[in-house]
Amino acid sequence: MEKEKMRERAEEEFEPLIVAFCCNWCSYAGADLAGTSRFEYPPNVRIVRVMCTGRIDPTFVLESLRMGADGVLVAGCHPGDCHYQKGNFMMERRFNYIKKAVDSIGMEPERVRLEWVSASEGGKFAALVREMTQQIKQLGPSPFRLAQSSA
Amino acid sequence: MQKAVMVIGGGIAGIQASLDLANRGFKVHLVEKDPSIGGRMAQLDKTFPTMDCSICILAPKMIECAHNRNVQLLTYSEVKDVKGSIGSFKVKVLRKPRYVDESKCNGCGICAQNCPSEAPNEFDENMGMRKAIYMPFPQAVPRVMVIDKDSCIECGLCDKVCPADAIDREQQPEEVELNVGAITVATGFDMFDPSVIPQYGYGRLKNVITAMELERILCASGPTGGHLIRPSDGRIPRNIAFIQCIGSRDRREWINHPYCSSICCKYAVKDAVLIKEHEPNTVVTIFYIDLRAFGRGFQEFVNRAKSEFGIRFTRSSPGEISEDPSTSNLVVWFEDPTTRTVHHNSFDLVVLCPALIPRKGVGELAKILGVELDNYGFFKSADSVRKPLDTNIPGIFACGYCLGPKTGDVPDSITQGSGTAGRIAEILGAREAS
Amino acid sequence: MIEEPRIGVFICHCGVNIGGVINVPEVTEYASKLPRVTYAEHSLYTCSEAGLAAIRKAVAEHSLNRVVVASCTPRTHEPLFRETVKEAGLNPYLFEMANIRDQCSWVHMHEPGKATEKAKDLVRMAVAKAALLEPQTEPEVEVKDASLVIGAGVAGMTAALSMANQGFKVYLIEREKEPGGIVRRLYKLYPTLARSSEVVGPLAKAVKSHRNIELMTSTTLKEASGYVGNFNVILATPNGDKEANVGTIIVACGALNYRPPQGLYQYKVLDKVVTQEELDGILRRDDLGKPERIVMIQCVGARKGEIRPSALEAFPRSDTAELLRKILKARKEEGWPYCSRICCMNAIKNAILVKENSPKTDVVILYGDLRVYKEYEDFYKRARDLEVRFVRHIEEVPPEIAQTPEGKINVAAYDALSGLEVNFKTDWVVLSTPLRPRRGEVLLARMLKVPIGTDGFLMEAHLKLRPVDTNVDGVFISGTVSGPKDVSESIISGEAAAARASILMANRKVRTDAITALVDEDLCIGCGLCEEICPYGAPKIEAGKSKIREILCRGCGSCAAECLRRAITMRHFGDHQILEQVKALLVPTG
Repeated sequence: MEKEKMRERAEEEFEPLIVAFCCNWCSYAGADLAGTSRFEYPPNVRIVRVMCTGRIDPTFVLESLRMGADGVLVAGCHPGDCHYQKGNFMMERRFNYIKKAVDSIGMEPERVRLEWVSASEGGKFAALVREMTQQIKQLGPSPFRLAQSSA
Repeated sequence: MQKAVMVIGGGIAGIQASLDLANRGFKVHLVEKDPSIGGRMAQLDKTFPTMDCSICILAPKMIECAHNRNVQLLTYSEVKDVKGSIGSFKVKVLRKPRYVDESKCNGCGICAQNCPSEAPNEFDENMGMRKAIYMPFPQAVPRVMVIDKDSCIECGLCDKVCPADAIDREQQPEEVELNVGAITVATGFDMFDPSVIPQYGYGRLKNVITAMELERILCASGPTGGHLIRPSDGRIPRNIAFIQCIGSRDRREWINHPYCSSICCKYAVKDAVLIKEHEPNTVVTIFYIDLRAFGRGFQEFVNRAKSEFGIRFTRSSPGEISEDPSTSNLVVWFEDPTTRTVHHNSFDLVVLCPALIPRKGVGELAKILGVELDNYGFFKSADSVRKPLDTNIPGIFACGYCLGPKTGDVPDSITQGSGTAGRIAEILGAREAS
Repeated sequence: MIEEPRIGVFICHCGVNIGGVINVPEVTEYASKLPRVTYAEHSLYTCSEAGLAAIRKAVAEHSLNRVVVASCTPRTHEPLFRETVKEAGLNPYLFEMANIRDQCSWVHMHEPGKATEKAKDLVRMAVAKAALLEPQTEPEVEVKDASLVIGAGVAGMTAALSMANQGFKVYLIEREKEPGGIVRRLYKLYPTLARSSEVVGPLAKAVKSHRNIELMTSTTLKEASGYVGNFNVILATPNGDKEANVGTIIVACGALNYRPPQGLYQYKVLDKVVTQEELDGILRRDDLGKPERIVMIQCVGARKGEIRPSALEAFPRSDTAELLRKILKARKEEGWPYCSRICCMNAIKNAILVKENSPKTDVVILYGDLRVYKEYEDFYKRARDLEVRFVRHIEEVPPEIAQTPEGKINVAAYDALSGLEVNFKTDWVVLSTPLRPRRGEVLLARMLKVPIGTDGFLMEAHLKLRPVDTNVDGVFISGTVSGPKDVSESIISGEAAAARASILMANRKVRTDAITALVDEDLCIGCGLCEEICPYGAPKIEAGKSKIREILCRGCGSCAAECLRRAITMRHFGDHQILEQVKALLVPTG
């Protein structure tokens, strides 16, 4: 009953915290463009800059979730446009088992997303953040977060 | 062949030319009339259509000029004489006295804090005041104070408080003689003074301002700290009108600027959007003839201005602005060309977008260089299609707005600046960088 | 061994850009209390001379060995701050940025409280990474003093000649049989009405005879690899493949005039509905004759978008039921939202040519906005003096084209001044269409890793500041490949790209990034997975261990992510450095 109440209260004021891994050449630049264009989006995202999504070890995503992120976004260049040729393809391949891993520990696989955002898609980045924030809000706080707060 | 070159004018075009030439291996003497480089772009708040903070994107380039080992900044200086020809021009440059030792001053500003004398601040379009000893603007390069002798009362306080002992009241003008292989002119533009058109009331009616004055108002480092307030009473204007083509596209003989200034429609829309960002409840109307929003990303920006920001566009060229003396509000009289009826609307603030004209003093410079000007006083291209950056004198090139309204926006000025660097590298034949 | 970090945090107001939304003093106070932060301050413009001097001063006074700047984006300002850190006596890689403007204050303008909290998070993350940064050295690479120019139009030829005149070897490739590009096919150019051959001719002659230019026509780029200073290109020539090694590449492959689809304004249905390009050809062949009337329609395929209710505001008489119905019924016409910059002048030029040839022909130009910029106003006046009629029409209602029983064409449009429908019985209809990127451009862009903008043209590195550079070091763009331009603008941009490229080649060396892969040989088992996946061939298995050739490594990090033994890490983007950022965010007290 206690846990139920806590969960309810947490969900009421729930503001998701989403970690976004963005690549320098495309999605990070797209996020910058959203800024210069003043496309507003909810302040629930924290961007970690990498040079290429190919850099992203599955551990980064899983650790983020374990440490309490409500969602993880990996945003890279559109297929074929990767600055380093195929880093995003490798990320795509890895992402399949990231999703499986997330599912296998009992978390909703929708909490992790892989999206393609180019340097000229400021509007898309903003829309993506709005949409994902909304989606994670509906899923509720990450079970890891609740576990931490009730511990 | 001299491996040194000269760039006259330290605005964005001159800065780009200087950096490209310096990185290419030439020794660059960058001569700038004002005490700091930066030009018009330093005065702007934001640039269209990216809405980048103007000084934020300009400052790194200004600083690079200061730090680049191949660039010698000769600010507060003017070219007085040029002899010779391509490959070897002998140039006399007069360095005006700052009365501050450039090598000692670190720009701390204690002198200005103590200075008792004030004068209108040119950088803020004379809307605010500065001291007689002043830093041209916060991000000035070089970061050195300058004394304006006209407003200095010679009290000597600055000298007493300066921790670096940098004040030199006996400083004399200095003539420097330089030998350069080529010259790029990048002297930029001035704004046409709209008070010449009395019907618009500029200079007479307090709340009629120019676009540059608006930029300074909107800018955080400007006279109002970035607050959008109107001159007469400091209130936030709720109804603003922009009027395009003040002097541009005007064939009347006593004005004689029949050309289109190329950037005013663009910056008006940008300023309108900026105003809406500051004050979403303010209504902005742009009076225009043709909306010249060409250029990459611009039409899309105008579409956004209309749909997202609700900026109004009225196709009409107003004939007169009158004032309601009790409120200092303005009444703009215009014809609706479709119904052929005359209307008038009331506005709190009217922003005029004046023609852009050659910089004052450019006629003299052209004589010194022997370069031809066109009918409007801009530097004339040797061939407007095939050799747009060359002048009639081999070895002397021009870039930026001094060439006239060849689109005039920042990317084009930068491209032209780089272009003259290319032309110079070609003719001076230097293959290796030194 | 990493020394004990002494981090200095410098937070920027950026005027009101950051300071107007985020409580900068509060964030500074917060930063000063973070672990390993020795010193924190804020300034109005950290990138100004004053701000940079303050950083140098603080490093000296407080013996700082790491610097964090919380301001705008590292993509524009990292080099500047790295330089400042270097001047302060530190290795430039001991620097980290927190993006609290483009990715915070600018996108959360109406949530200042949350933006301030987010800024604190971002600063905390940057500080965590900064504590783990290590000094790096940038390898220097040789720059080959040769350049590849793709496309021998006016921009490409200008660029090639500029570099060749400076003494550099230039490979100038052109897909067509003759150099000259789109200008070669034009008749006369504005505003001088010079024949296009007067521009193209001398350029083509010069590139063909210059001893430093190897012109290869009927040639395209087949493959490109390498990096700045050292690009390996394979060219598909009529005599087989040719390999070349160049230091820089200039893309100048131009654009094409849009051909409307069949049926649009009866194009390709009625014989005498043509594009301006086709009219150019007709004028050149003197095939026009002396028609009674020509109607030109501007912005066919350009400045297209959905009809917005606010657009109706500018229209008079829009209470006319008929007009309203048509506007609401009009479908979104095919096209792109951008303005193609040159079509107004181009139409006026052709109108003048027609009038000078047959003064009695009535030339009507239907337009929305007449974009005659610069001193081209005089050219516009010339057209009006010749009695070319400029009719502003209501663009939202596309003109209707129909054949009349007498074999003429009727153009029905709505006059914007009166709001009334007007009909023109005309002999010819000329459609002014925008420049569009070539279809092959997408493949070229992929090959060279140059991004494409939303309008379809190649994207420059920065729309304002770096108009001829691309995000790929050593690759430049000029001419209409990066957007519509007229001839003089293309020539200027060709000159500019050549200037930028020649800087690299003249200096013979360039510094490349220190962000490269690093193998821990104790953990490496020589499985060869890294060698297999690297697109650049940087790792090589030698004596059972992976050896990374740093010159070839571009720093993507795929090998580090794929290595099963976790033997590979990236300099400056190590596993621990990335994870610490996440940990600092999510477990701040941890």
